[in-house]
Amino acid sequence: MTFNLFGRPSSRRTFLMGAGAVSATALAGFPMPAIAQAQDINIISDENNADALAILRKIGDDFGKQAGVKVVINNMDHEAHKTAIRNYLVAGAPDICFWFSGNRMRAFVKRGLFDDISDLFEKEKYKDVLGASAGSVTVDGKQYGLPTGGTLWGMFYRKDVFAQLGATAPANWDDFLAYGAKCKSANLTPIAIGTKELWPAAGWFDQMNLRINGLDKHMALMNGEMSYLDPSLKPVFDQWETLIKQGYFTPDNTSFGWQEAGALLAQKKAGMMNLGAFVRFAFPKEELDQLAFAPFPTIDPKVGRFEEFSLNSVHIPANAKNKQGAREFLSYFYRPENIGPYLEPGGNVPPRNDLPPSKDPLVNAAVDLLKTVQGTSQYYDRDSDPDMAQAGLVGFQEFMAKPERRDAILQRLEGTRKRIYKL
Amino acid sequence: MMTFWRHHRWWLTPTLLILPAAILFSVVILLSALESIWISLHEWDGFSPMVWIGLGNYVELFNDPQFYVSLKNNVIWLVMFMAAPPLGLAIALLVNQKIRGMRLMKSLFFIPLVLASVAVGVVFTWVYTPQLGLLALIFGFFGATAPALLSNEHLVTFAIVIAALWPQIAFCMVLYLAGLNNLSEELIGAGRVDGARGWNMLRHIVLPQLTQVTFIAIAVTVVGALRSFDMVSVMTQGGPFGSSEVLAYQMFEQSIFSYRFGYGAAIASVLFVIMAVFIVWYLTRIIRIEERGA
Repeated sequence: MTFNLFGRPSSRRTFLMGAGAVSATALAGFPMPAIAQAQDINIISDENNADALAILRKIGDDFGKQAGVKVVINNMDHEAHKTAIRNYLVAGAPDICFWFSGNRMRAFVKRGLFDDISDLFEKEKYKDVLGASAGSVTVDGKQYGLPTGGTLWGMFYRKDVFAQLGATAPANWDDFLAYGAKCKSANLTPIAIGTKELWPAAGWFDQMNLRINGLDKHMALMNGEMSYLDPSLKPVFDQWETLIKQGYFTPDNTSFGWQEAGALLAQKKAGMMNLGAFVRFAFPKEELDQLAFAPFPTIDPKVGRFEEFSLNSVHIPANAKNKQGAREFLSYFYRPENIGPYLEPGGNVPPRNDLPPSKDPLVNAAVDLLKTVQGTSQYYDRDSDPDMAQAGLVGFQEFMAKPERRDAILQRLEGTRKRIYKL
Repeated sequence: MMTFWRHHRWWLTPTLLILPAAILFSVVILLSALESIWISLHEWDGFSPMVWIGLGNYVELFNDPQFYVSLKNNVIWLVMFMAAPPLGLAIALLVNQKIRGMRLMKSLFFIPLVLASVAVGVVFTWVYTPQLGLLALIFGFFGATAPALLSNEHLVTFAIVIAALWPQIAFCMVLYLAGLNNLSEELIGAGRVDGARGWNMLRHIVLPQLTQVTFIAIAVTVVGALRSFDMVSVMTQGGPFGSSEVLAYQMFEQSIFSYRFGYGAAIASVLFVIMAVFIVWYLTRIIRIEERGA
C-alpha cells in the first residue's frame, strides 16, 4: 500500500497534521456540552401519553413565564427511562424526574440518590390532602417525592357482553366460578390475559394472594421475609391451577401482549380482564362507555379488603443543581388546577383528595372503591427486589403455561430468594 | 523539526494515519472488553460499590439451567443461519439472469436489507400471532389450526431464526451479486469452449471465483448468529419462560432487569470466548489465503 492517494506531498503533510489533531481530540475525549445556567429547571419525564405530555409542557411554560426562568422538559420513552434513570441519577442529574413510589423509590433513597423534600411537605401541608398515599413516598418518616397518578388494578368487562350473558360482576369465588361456566357454554374465554410481557401473570398472583392470605403475608413475601415454599401459598396455586386447567384464560397467552389481550376483550372474544385503567387504550373511543370496572372477587370472606394500587411519583434527585427552583416548580405543578388536567388523559387516580370529581366514570369508580380499602400493595414487580421480580415474573408465566411444573418453579424461586437475601 | 520529520517520516506517517482508529478501537473495544471481564469477577448492581467474588459468577453460571438453554439456542441460531449463504447464492444466480423485469425482482429481494430488524421482528410476530395472524389465517383457510409458534418452548427459537434469516439471506445475496459482477469473462468463455454447461460450469468455474465472497458471507453470518439479540427482544423477550433466550439476551436481561451487572458480564465473557474461537479461525484462514496469494 502506497500513499499516492493524496496527490502532492504538501497536501499530504497537511492531511497528516489533521490526522494528528484528530488523534489529540480522541485522546482528550469529546467536548462536554456547556453547563446550563443555574436558574434553568431541567426535567426528565417518562410520559408516553401525548395529551398528558402536552399539558405537562404547558405547565412548564406557564411556570417559566411567571417565574422568569427556563423550564426544559426532556421526555423519554417510559420503558427506556427505567434503565436511563440509573445512569443519570449518578451522573448528570436533572432537577426533577418522574419515577415510581414504594419499593422502587426506596431503592434510590437507600443509595442517597433522591433529595429529602419533607420541608416542602411541611410548607405546603401536603399530608392533609394526600392521606394514605403519603406513605408510599415516605421512608423512615421523611418524604422523598410527590405521588402523581395511581392505577387501581381490578377486573374490567363490557356491559353489553355481560347483559347478553345475563351475568353480573362476580363478587365472590362461587359467583366467579359460575360466571366462568356461563362463559364456557357461550364459547367465550372467561379471562383475557396476555403474558408475553410477563407482568400480567404476576398481577394475577398478587390478586389471589391478597384475597387468600391478606396484605401482611403478601408483603412479607414481597420483602423476601417469607419462603416461596410456605404452605400458605398452596391454596393460591391450587385455585389458580383449577382455573388454568378449566381453560379460564386466553389459550397460548404467552404469544399475546396486554394490548392484544385487551383487543380480545374489546372484540367480545373474552369476558373479563385483570388490568389497570389503561385497558381503555385497547378500546375504540366510541365504545368506551361499555367498559366497566369491578374489584377482584372475594375468595376468603375472613380476609380484609386489600387492593393493588400502583402510584407513580415525581422526585428531586440528590445531585440536582437547582433544588430550590425544583421545589418551586413542584409546588406549582402540584396545584389542583395543574395536576388534575395532567392526570386526566391517562385515566389515573389523582393522589390529592381535594380535586373535583373526574369527567371519567371509571376514575370516580376507582376513587370510591379506594375509600373502602384497608390497605394496598403496589404490584409484584414494584413491591419486590428487581432481581427477585424478574425471576418471579418468568416463574408465574411458566406456571400459567405449564402448571404441572409448580414444584420446580417454586423451588427455583426459593433458590433465587435465598441468593438475593443471602440466607 | 522539519529534518526530524524527514528522517522519521517512514514510520511517523503510517503511525499518525492509524492513530485515530487505534485510539478509538482501544478505548471503545479493548478497554471495554477488559473492564467487562473485570466486572464479571464482582457482584455489582450498577451503582453500589463493587464486591469482589472472584469466579463466583462463573460457578453460578455453569450451574444455571438457563445458561444451557441459551447456549443451545445459540447453537440452533448458528446451524440454521448457515443456510443463508447458499440460499443467498441461489437467489443471486436467479436474479442475475438478463431477463426483462429482473431489475424489479432484484429490488424486491433487496427490501429486507433496508428494513430495521426490529420492524422485521414486529411484522413476523404479527404473522405468528395465534387466532389473528397471517399464519393462523392461512391454516384456517385449509380448516386447520396453526401452532402457536411463539408459545411453544420447542419451536419458538426456530420461528425467530426464520424471521432473522430473511434479511440475512438478502445480505448474502447482495454479496454474491457483487461477486458475480467480477467474474472473469475469459475463464467463462474458456469453459464454454470446453463444453461446460449448467451445473459443471457453476461447480468448476463460477464457484471457485467466489471463494472470497463465500468466506465473507460465512463470517458475517456466524457473527450475526452469535450476536442475535434484537429479534429475540422484539418477538418474545426471551419467552415463553426463557426458552428462546440466547446468551446475548440473557446478558441483557440479567444486567438491566435483574440489576446483576457482574453476572451479565460473566455471560458476556463466555460469549467473547466463543467469538474468539471463531475469530482465530477466521484470521488464520485469511493469513493462509494471503500467503498463497503472495
